[in-house]
Amino acid sequence: MASTLPALAIPGQRLGPVASYSAGPGTHVQQSNVYASIAGPVVVDPAQPGSKAKATLSVSRSIRAPGTGNVVKPVTTSAGAKPAATSAPPKPKLKYNTLPTVDSVVLARVTRVQKRQATVSILVVLDDPASTQGVNPSQTASDNDNIEAILSSAANPENHSSSDELRFQALIRKEDVRAVEKDRVVMDEMFRVGDIVRGTVISLGDQSFYYLTTARNDLGVVMARSEAGNMMFPVSWKEMRDSATGQAELRKVARPF
Amino acid sequence: MAPAAAAAAQPAPPSLSLPPSQFARLQPHAYLLAHLSPPPSSNQPSIRANGRAPSQFRVTSANTGSLTHTNGSAVVRLGDTTAVCGVRAEILHTEDIASWSVSRPTPASSSPTGNKRRKLTDSTAKLSAESENKEEDGDDESQIQDFSLLVPNLSLSTGCAPGFIPGAPPSALAQSLSHQILTLLHSTRLVRAEDLRIWYQPPNLGPEELERHNENEQMDVDAPQGEVDLEKNKEIKAFWVLYIDIMIISLAGNPFDAAWAAVLAALRDTKLARAWWDVDNEMVVCSDAVSEARKLSLRGLPISSTFCVFEADAASGWRAVVIPDAEEEKELDDSTRKGIQRRWVLADPDGYEEGLSQERICVVVDKEQDGKGKTVIMKLEKNGGWAVDTKELKTLVDISAQRWEDLKQILEQC
Amino acid sequence: MTDRRRINGPPSGTRPAVFAASLNSASNIATGRPQRQRQPNELRKIFLKTGLIPSASGSSYLEYEPSASLAAARSSPKCLIPPSSALKLACTVHGPKPLPRSATFSPNLVLTTHVKYAPFAARKRKGHIRDASERDLGVHLETALRGVIVAERWPKSGLDITITILEAEDDRWWGDAPDSHDAPWGIMNVLAGCITAASAAISDARIDCLDLIAGGVAAIVADESEDVEAKPKLMLDTDPAEHRVILSACVVAYMPARDEITEIWLKGDSSKALLGTDYKRSGHEALLDGAVDAARGAHSVLAEAVRESAVRFAGLAPGGGVMQ
Repeated sequence: MASTLPALAIPGQRLGPVASYSAGPGTHVQQSNVYASIAGPVVVDPAQPGSKAKATLSVSRSIRAPGTGNVVKPVTTSAGAKPAATSAPPKPKLKYNTLPTVDSVVLARVTRVQKRQATVSILVVLDDPASTQGVNPSQTASDNDNIEAILSSAANPENHSSSDELRFQALIRKEDVRAVEKDRVVMDEMFRVGDIVRGTVISLGDQSFYYLTTARNDLGVVMARSEAGNMMFPVSWKEMRDSATGQAELRKVARPF
Repeated sequence: MAPAAAAAAQPAPPSLSLPPSQFARLQPHAYLLAHLSPPPSSNQPSIRANGRAPSQFRVTSANTGSLTHTNGSAVVRLGDTTAVCGVRAEILHTEDIASWSVSRPTPASSSPTGNKRRKLTDSTAKLSAESENKEEDGDDESQIQDFSLLVPNLSLSTGCAPGFIPGAPPSALAQSLSHQILTLLHSTRLVRAEDLRIWYQPPNLGPEELERHNENEQMDVDAPQGEVDLEKNKEIKAFWVLYIDIMIISLAGNPFDAAWAAVLAALRDTKLARAWWDVDNEMVVCSDAVSEARKLSLRGLPISSTFCVFEADAASGWRAVVIPDAEEEKELDDSTRKGIQRRWVLADPDGYEEGLSQERICVVVDKEQDGKGKTVIMKLEKNGGWAVDTKELKTLVDISAQRWEDLKQILEQC
Repeated sequence: MTDRRRINGPPSGTRPAVFAASLNSASNIATGRPQRQRQPNELRKIFLKTGLIPSASGSSYLEYEPSASLAAARSSPKCLIPPSSALKLACTVHGPKPLPRSATFSPNLVLTTHVKYAPFAARKRKGHIRDASERDLGVHLETALRGVIVAERWPKSGLDITITILEAEDDRWWGDAPDSHDAPWGIMNVLAGCITAASAAISDARIDCLDLIAGGVAAIVADESEDVEAKPKLMLDTDPAEHRVILSACVVAYMPARDEITEIWLKGDSSKALLGTDYKRSGHEALLDGAVDAARGAHSVLAEAVRESAVRFAGLAPGGGVMQ
C-alpha cells in the first residue's frame, strides 16, 4: 500500500484514502481522501502493531532524510562552529515557518524587563511537538532556518529596533519564572535585556503575545553578557559569572549540561 | 505526549552546542567571529561565514535589454541581491522650462559673441571634433543638473526583504540610495548633456522673414546667412529626460553596488530615438527606426565597491568611541604582529555582515583610457567608525581597481 | 504635489516620446498589427521558477514567452516601438509573521496582497504610488488566494504577498487609437500571471493550501477580417495586442484537483457574441470553460515548478528553471 505513495507531494495531490490512512501534518482530507497541503517529502508513520489505528500520512516540513546534511550537527559555540557551517556547500533550503505552539521549546531574546513580567522576542522555535512523534529525540532539534537565508537578511537593514516587529513576541510573567519561591521573584534578578532565554510556550495568549514559562530546571537564561559586555558562564541555578572580570550577576539560569 | 516529548528532547545539551543556524541567529557576532578567527589548533583558514575571503566579492552577473518598454534596461545580480533598472526617456520642451528664457540669450541682447550662446555652439562644434574642454563640460553638467534631466529613483518596497512594507512611502534607506545615485550621476558626469539635447535647425530664411517670426521661436535674428551661421541658427527645442528606476527585487546586503551596476549597465544599453522639432505640430517627433536611434556616449565607467568593517570586540558598537592612545596603539600593533586580528575589512558585505558592522566604506573608481590609464577615484565615502586609516584606504582602492576590471568584463559581455 | 521623498523630474513634467509613425494614418505604419501565430487553444509558454529570493520565506518569478512578433522584433530590431509585450513579474511571500500590534486577534492567517507595477512596466510610465487598477489587482488576487489557503493552521499570524510587475501586458495594440475607450484587457492577463506566481511562492513558503491554484484567461475576439459577418471566436490566453476587437474576456483562479473556482472576473459583453454553431453553450459559459482550460495549462507548469521547489527543499537535487 505504501508503495503507491509518491516520495514527494505537491499541494492538491491525492495521497490515499481515509479508509487506510489518517491525515497528519501537511495534509488535509477531502471527499474521503488524504491530500497533500504543502510540497515536500511524504512520510508514513506506521500504526502501532496490534492497535486498530491507521497509519498516519504527513508531508514533511523539515528534512530528516539521513545524509542530507545540516540538521543535526551540534557544534560547540566556542571553537568548532565553522567546519559544520562551511563544509556542506549546497545546503538544502529550509524555511522558517514553524509557528510556536503550546509546549514548543523556544529560544528568545529579552527585550524588556518590568516589575511583573519580561517581554521577549522569539528567535528560534526548537521543536514542533506535532511533528516529533516517533522520531529519535536527538534529531528533533529541527533546524528551522537555513544559514543561507539568515546570512542574506540583515537583522533589519533599516533600523535594528524594529526587527522585533518581525518576530513573535512573548511574555514571561513573574509567576512563571520558576517553580519554587514564586512570590520572592524579583524580575531584575532573573532576566536582563539582551539575555537569551529558553522557555516553553504555555499559551498562545492574546493578539500580540505568547506566554512562556521558565519554571523548570532546564529552562531559563542560556546566554548572557555581563554589564561589562563579556559573555558569562553559569555557576549556579541563580548566578552567572563574567568570563573576563569574574563579576557575578543574578539570573534565572537554565541548567547547563 | 507533547510534554513527554519535550522533556525527552532536553537531554540534548543545548546551551553549549547548537546547530550552526541557531548559533548564527542567537549569537550573530560570535558566529562571524568564529569563522574569521578560527582556533589555531583547527588549522582552518580565516574565512567569512558566507565562505568568502575578506576581499572577495560575490558572484556577479548582468543581463541587459530584456524589458520591452524601456529605452535601456539591466538586471544585475550580486550574489542574492538583485537589482532591475529600467531607463525610460521622455521629452522636456524648453518652453516648459520656467528658467529657460532667462538662461538663454534674448534676441535683443544676443550677439554672435554672446557669452552663453558661444558656449552652446562651441559645444556642438567641439564634440564633433572629439575634443573636450573644461568650459564645455561645465555647461554640460549644469544643464543636466539645472533642468533635472536625470531622475533616478530606487524602490525597496518590492518585498525584497522582510521589514520593508510594500506600498509605504520610500524608506530612509531607499531615499538615501536614490540620492546617492543621483549625486554620483552628477559628480561622475556619466551622461553627456549633448546626448540629451534635441536641436532645431530653422529653415534657411532671410533675416527679415525671421524677424517676422517671433523672438520666442527663433533666437538668431541678427545672424547673417551662410554655412557657419546655419550652425548658429540651431536652437535647443527640447531635452530628453531619463527616468532611471531601480527596483531592488531581492535584498541580501550591499544594495548600492548592485543598484549602481544596474544603472550603469542600463545606461550603456540605452538607445534614444532620433528626434526633431516638428514645426507644423509644434512638438518633438521621433523616428521609430532602430537604425536612426543612437546609444548614449557615456563618460568612463565608474564602478563602486562597498566594504564594511567587522570588529572582534562585540561591544565596540555601543561602547564610547575612544581613539587609542600610544600605548593601546602599540598593543594593537603587537597583537597584529602575533597574528591576532582584531578587525576585518569585508568587501561586498551580505545582509548579515551589514547588520554586524558600524563602519562602511564606499569607493567609486574609474580607469582612464578604458582601463589602460591611471585609476581615478570618483567618490570615496566612509562613515561609522575610525578603524580604516589612509593606509588601509589605499588597499581598498587597489581592491576596487581590481573589482573595476572584473565588473568591466561582466558589463561588456552582457 | 512634489514628493519630497523621491527624486522628482522637471517641475513642469515631461511628455512621452511621440513617434512619427503614430501621427500618420494607420496605413503608414510599417509593421502592422502583430498576428497571433498560435492555435486558438494554444497557450504561451510560461517560465516559472521558485526560491530566487532567499530573504523571503517563499518567492517566485514568472515570465510569459514573447509573442512571435515580439520575438522577431527582438532578434532583428527595426522599429523602436515594440509590437507587443510579455508579462514578467516577481512574487515574494513574507511570513507567517506576527500581526501588527494594532491588529485584533485572529485565529487564522491574515493575508495581505500587494501588486505594484514598476514605473517602466507599461507603455505609459506608471507612477510610484499605487493607482486604482493596482489596488484592484491586489483585491482580486486576495480573493483568489483566500479560498485556497488553509488559514486556520497559522493562528494569529500574517502573510504578506508582494508582486512587482516588471513588464505588463498591453491593453490593446499601440497602433489603434490610443484614446479609444476600450476596456483595459491587459490587466486580466496580469491577474492570471499574479495568481499562478503567488501560488508557486506560497507553496515555496510551505503554507498549507488545498490545491495549487492557477490563473487562466480566455476571450471572445472578433478580428481576422473587416467582415462584420465573421463569427467571433473563442481564444485562450489572448495577447490583446494581437486582436482588433475583444468583445469579452474572462480570468479565473482555478483549483484542478477540486474542480473549484475561487475567482472569476469577466469583462465585456459575452451575451451578444454569437459563436459558431459548433458552440452549444452561451457566450459566458464558453468563456468560463476556456479560462478554466487555460488555467489547467498553467497548472501543469505550476506543478512542475512546485515539485522542483520540493526537490530543492529536500536537498535531493540542484534547482533549475521550468519551461513548458
